[in-house]
Amino acid sequence: MSIETKSSYLKPLPYPSAESRPFWEAARRHRLMVQKCGRCGRFRFPPAARCPHCLAAEHEWTEVSGRGRVFSFVTYHRLYHEGWDGEIPYVVAVIELEEGPRLLSTVTGVAPNEVRCDMPVRVVFDDVTEDVTLPKFAPA
Amino acid sequence: MSAPNAAYRDRYAIVGAGTSRLGKVPGVSALGLIEEACANALDDAGLAARDVDGLLVRGPDDIYTFHQVVGERLGIDAGFSTTTANGGASQILSVILAVMAIEAGLASVVLCGYGRDTWSRTHTSERARMRGATRAAEMESQEFGPEYGLFGAAAMHAFGARRHMHEFGTTREQFGAIALAFREHALCNPDAMMKKPLTMDDYLAARMIVEPFGLLDCSLRSDAAGAVIVTTTERARDLRRRPVLIKGFGTHNNLKGWFADDHMTRTAAGPSGERAYAMAGIGPEDIDCAQIYDCFTYMVLTQIEDYGFCEKGEGGPFVASGALGRGGRLPTNTSGGQLSESHAEGVLQIVEGVRQLQGVYGPDRQVPGAETCLVSGHGGNTVCHSTLVLGAAP
Repeated sequence: MSIETKSSYLKPLPYPSAESRPFWEAARRHRLMVQKCGRCGRFRFPPAARCPHCLAAEHEWTEVSGRGRVFSFVTYHRLYHEGWDGEIPYVVAVIELEEGPRLLSTVTGVAPNEVRCDMPVRVVFDDVTEDVTLPKFAPA
Repeated sequence: MSAPNAAYRDRYAIVGAGTSRLGKVPGVSALGLIEEACANALDDAGLAARDVDGLLVRGPDDIYTFHQVVGERLGIDAGFSTTTANGGASQILSVILAVMAIEAGLASVVLCGYGRDTWSRTHTSERARMRGATRAAEMESQEFGPEYGLFGAAAMHAFGARRHMHEFGTTREQFGAIALAFREHALCNPDAMMKKPLTMDDYLAARMIVEPFGLLDCSLRSDAAGAVIVTTTERARDLRRRPVLIKGFGTHNNLKGWFADDHMTRTAAGPSGERAYAMAGIGPEDIDCAQIYDCFTYMVLTQIEDYGFCEKGEGGPFVASGALGRGGRLPTNTSGGQLSESHAEGVLQIVEGVRQLQGVYGPDRQVPGAETCLVSGHGGNTVCHSTLVLGAAP
């Protein structure tokens, strides 16, 4: 994945680590994948070399349902980064996947003031540049 | 059965406390401010720099080996010294490390301090402010955050506030009651940045920053430093000030993360407080006043619950009852706190706790008959916590 942006996309792009690269590559193919421990069978996020439950190294990148709920969310009314100029207010959310892990994302396709905690959501994929796709979530 | 660390109860004391000028102090760096605070703390204790053999400090994260620079400037070689890295939990952690170092024979008089020049750094231009916020976020993580627009500490804490509102019916007016109570205290503190009375209408009308937080839910940007001196209670007897006893301390670190488990609504203050109470041999009902880490209003509300001053979920009604004000059940942040006095990552709250227990203030600010004070520290990336229980010397 390139960290260069060839378009007019002004927001920061993810800098994958060695451990998280498969997550972003899967997102590029519009698939939401997380690591599943090869020993205890639990899903984990964020990506890491070892399972935080049993410390096993063996794992499999596994496609998940993409269904979850909004665990919590905030609404930005102040501009912290020029990439969001003209998009205030915007929502940043903690999504709890049906499979257990929580990940940071945003809720799209709904007005910020209609987002609620525990609201059911499903993944959608936003191809923000030629090389980078961000998993986001919309009301289920 | 008493706690293993109960043996240290009352054997160590804070013997001096000092601050720098607070608020908007142009022309002085974070280092200059902490020098000022350390000099004032030494003067308060009647000690000289040559009496100090331990130095535990913290400042802006971009100054490498901060303690070495501070030691050089103050002319101190130390048996024990480091820079702490638990954010706002660091300042109480320094006091705890001081006790441990003295107990282990590595030092005998330890200077603990913190300094920052955040107001000066962020008020050169709006662009500088934005760069500051963005750079801080990029230092933490290059993925799973900035690409979704997550910047700054306000949002992290606002996730907790939002979830607490959802689970327990907590309201913005209840967060507002915290801001109002601390502003009321600040009006009795001539050094406080905020000098005007605050009404609930003002609070609700303030512009939103990261909802559910508006401007007045957020702590101040300040140029500010503070320092305290720790030694044995025995040594304290020969010094200038009435010592303040370290009755109990505790720490806890929810390193699995703010998003894990129920950490954002049941914070590390819980286990940290239990350890501090066990060491002190007292409970929340015995605490006369508190200095609670108030980076954002919500953090006060959840800590009040986590420390057992009320049940989990009852923090809203508790703070709305007037409990945090003068004459309330638990006068809290009696200097105005980081919301209304100045933000120095919690060190000013240790200083305020010490001074309340020395009984130095006039009737407008002094908590009558205060013999115990709980002080809290919270920070890192929202998951590190530390607690001090201080007591007046008999």
